[in-house]
Amino acid sequence: MVKKELRQRAKELAKEHGYLQYMIERYLTLWGEEETLRFIEACEKTIRTAIRVNSLKSSSGVVRGRLQKKGVTLEEIPWLNDGFYADFRNTSPGALLEHMLGFYYVQGVPSMTAVNVLNPEPGEIVLDIAAAPGGKTTHIAQMMQNTGMVIAVEQDRQRMNSLQSNIVRCGATNTLVLRGDARKLDDLPYEPDKILLDAPCSGEGLIPLDPTRKTSKAMADIRFCATREDEMLETAVNVLTEGGTMVYSTCSIAPEENEYIVDDILQRHPEMEIVKISAEFGSPGYSEPYGVKLHESLTLARRFLPHLHGTEGFFICKLVKREGTTA
Amino acid sequence: MKIDLVDPVDWDSIIEQIDIEFGAGVTKSLLGNRVPVIMSSGSTRTFYAIPTDWMSSLTDAAETLDIQFVGKQLGSVDKGRFRLSLQILDELTGLTKSCIIVSRQGAEAFTYGRSIIKESVIELNSSLVRGQRVLVLNEDRECLGIAALSVDASKLNRLGADRLVAKNLVDIGWFIRRLG
Repeated sequence: MVKKELRQRAKELAKEHGYLQYMIERYLTLWGEEETLRFIEACEKTIRTAIRVNSLKSSSGVVRGRLQKKGVTLEEIPWLNDGFYADFRNTSPGALLEHMLGFYYVQGVPSMTAVNVLNPEPGEIVLDIAAAPGGKTTHIAQMMQNTGMVIAVEQDRQRMNSLQSNIVRCGATNTLVLRGDARKLDDLPYEPDKILLDAPCSGEGLIPLDPTRKTSKAMADIRFCATREDEMLETAVNVLTEGGTMVYSTCSIAPEENEYIVDDILQRHPEMEIVKISAEFGSPGYSEPYGVKLHESLTLARRFLPHLHGTEGFFICKLVKREGTTA
Repeated sequence: MKIDLVDPVDWDSIIEQIDIEFGAGVTKSLLGNRVPVIMSSGSTRTFYAIPTDWMSSLTDAAETLDIQFVGKQLGSVDKGRFRLSLQILDELTGLTKSCIIVSRQGAEAFTYGRSIIKESVIELNSSLVRGQRVLVLNEDRECLGIAALSVDASKLNRLGADRLVAKNLVDIGWFIRRLG
């Protein structure tokens, strides 16, 4: 499709489905028309609710039994030990006693997957950047069995409340919660073994959950987010210990916020390397989005896409910092 | 926020307040092999228990970073009274006999912020007295929060079904009410 035709078609589809034109133009360039239409259709469907059983407070068997008695059905998520799709029917997932007791956390499948990919282990020091509302922080604490230290950093004062509340509810006792700008962590007196940077993003993957996203963000917003993501990732790379592991993730499907950001980091930091994710989920990252050639290893990253995986859109990339390469 | 080791006199006062209501030695058990630290915000002082090897690095971190929460939250003091954190209730359940067990309906109402009336009470240790703080447990012995007894437990049977037995001080429904 030549550029003029693509713009015209994007204009028509944007009008028909209530999107901003620039978004459809990018989808058509990335995927072609057939896949773009499948994406648009998938964004109109409800995303399945999922929960993570909190092993600090209970067990999968107990939670499954108790929720079943209340008419909630659970279905295992193949690559996640404590993750379940949950059909709460007409009940609010947050209103049940088991939720108040911290037995489970209502959490998106991609978010649980990001922590699973990071694979925090007991005794480690793990940095969770942009941590609120605490789903990933408490998941990390759970995988570390409340040992070691989870350093959770959040800048937003309002979101800090939900972060602390969820830490208390879930019984995580190995956290250090800091308020501040994640781009200014140079003074951190710790060298994290692992870092999770689930970066604040434009949320372009959340259209199935928030239809207003079809029109709420301009291309300038994506550029703004990309700049901030780049700065946050740069800081994270600098504080990560040599030999350490990092997961960079966003709930955006925009290559500008994902593959482009990681590609820039790989160019600036030869000590950083993308590594294969062992769990089987999603589809490969892009190494040539919009025809722009990026580092080949970006295909080792994984993407969740609504039309392919029935989840919100999400990007997960696992990197390691090689030992003995920093100045 | 600045983080400090707890002044021994302050800590003795906290131990006294917890142990008087929940049993001798309870505070020591809650602390385990951790060290108590304190963070202050306005008139509120919040107590946390942290692994001993965290202390030196946290002191450094507090110089440049804004610490908001650390380790296990024990509770906070505001206007002279120590209030236990919801975070330690599970642990406390296994350490104390200062409990009131309530029916399913009473438990549900309690998590909506209601207090406990006579008809909801399944079990109450007869030695507990008016004003005493007690853990509120459901029939599965899961802790739902803390209440203050409005009557001596020994006088429970004299009350009518709809009379107040224990006033809700804090409950786990707070998680939902706080987050909306």
